[in-house]
Amino acid sequence: MSSEKPLSRFHQPISVPGRRLMHSIPLSFVRRKVAGGGQRSTNHDVPLIPFIDFLLCIVCFLLASFSASGELPVDKNVKLPNAENVMDMTEAPMVAITGTQILVDGAPAGNTRAIEEANRLQRVDELFNVLKNKRELWKQINPSKEFPGVVVLQVDRKVQALVVKSVFQTAAFAGYPNVSFMVGRMGK
Amino acid sequence: MAGIDTGGGHGGKRATNHEIPLIPFIDFLLCLVAFLLVTAVWSQMARINADARVPGPPKDEPPEEQKKEKQLNVEMKGDTKFQLVWKEGNTVVNTIDVDRKPVPTGTNGDIRFPDLAKKIEDEWTANGAHRAGSDKKFDLAILHTDNTTPFSDVIAVIDAIYSPKRDFDFAGKSEKVPSFNVTFAVN
Repeated sequence: MSSEKPLSRFHQPISVPGRRLMHSIPLSFVRRKVAGGGQRSTNHDVPLIPFIDFLLCIVCFLLASFSASGELPVDKNVKLPNAENVMDMTEAPMVAITGTQILVDGAPAGNTRAIEEANRLQRVDELFNVLKNKRELWKQINPSKEFPGVVVLQVDRKVQALVVKSVFQTAAFAGYPNVSFMVGRMGK
Repeated sequence: MAGIDTGGGHGGKRATNHEIPLIPFIDFLLCLVAFLLVTAVWSQMARINADARVPGPPKDEPPEEQKKEKQLNVEMKGDTKFQLVWKEGNTVVNTIDVDRKPVPTGTNGDIRFPDLAKKIEDEWTANGAHRAGSDKKFDLAILHTDNTTPFSDVIAVIDAIYSPKRDFDFAGKSEKVPSFNVTFAVN
């Protein structure tokens, strides 16, 4: 019998309870201490409702600023210059110049070799066609809206001005006269 | 803890008194906050604007005679100086030389041209045509560069051109915006 496990409290037979700690037992010093004993009470209610309100506000703010698409797609090979007098980024087609390659929203759209070899300003036909198609697609999707004509150029800091000007001019001729250069924000 | 007390539960029915489990709810909210903070994008990216002056679509009516305005031409040809040239059409109004003194900033090899920025600000204060907040037009700065100039230097000069600021009324509010619009010279 002694080797058997004791029954759990749910399986024990109902019996008359034994002695319990009750008010008759003089633990008044504990009661006094908790009640403050003439000083400030040590019993405290944590104000949970304002805390939950605060958490809900943080959640709302973070959800509002949450970007499901993640970080702006900056090519790892592109080192951007920094500037002080800048504007916030805008949503627009992204033209990246990485080495000799030109990418539009990550898809190849020509290269810069022809410009460097010719050593003069010239239109990049492949880029022109890609941007023109994008513009026409935008106009089909938004027939009642005015086309903003904004394009963002993501250019490595070492790229020559000739290449930048050629891509700039190509974008302008493709119907994107508002060209922005992506830069890092420099502290004032 | 928070609860709903309707005083029910008599007569053998299930009690309608309920405790709302606030602690798991707070845990859930804290998890949500932690997740959103971890996935938040604290981007330092920005943009610097440049306008391409391309002709618009052809019109049947003859174009209106436009008043020739002064334009600031910033020439960064050569290694020792910049040249600021105010032109009215093809007529040169004024030419100012500014020493090319690059000031390195940060650890990435970035440079700035504070002397150029100061001079351009002075020039705009003296000669700028579009100053009123209600004026929707901007003074134009045309940037002339060598073909071999690195892009970081071009951005440093555009940054200097954008240093003078003016008021601009937009949607009932006045805000400070760069005084110049920048474009590139083709040649």
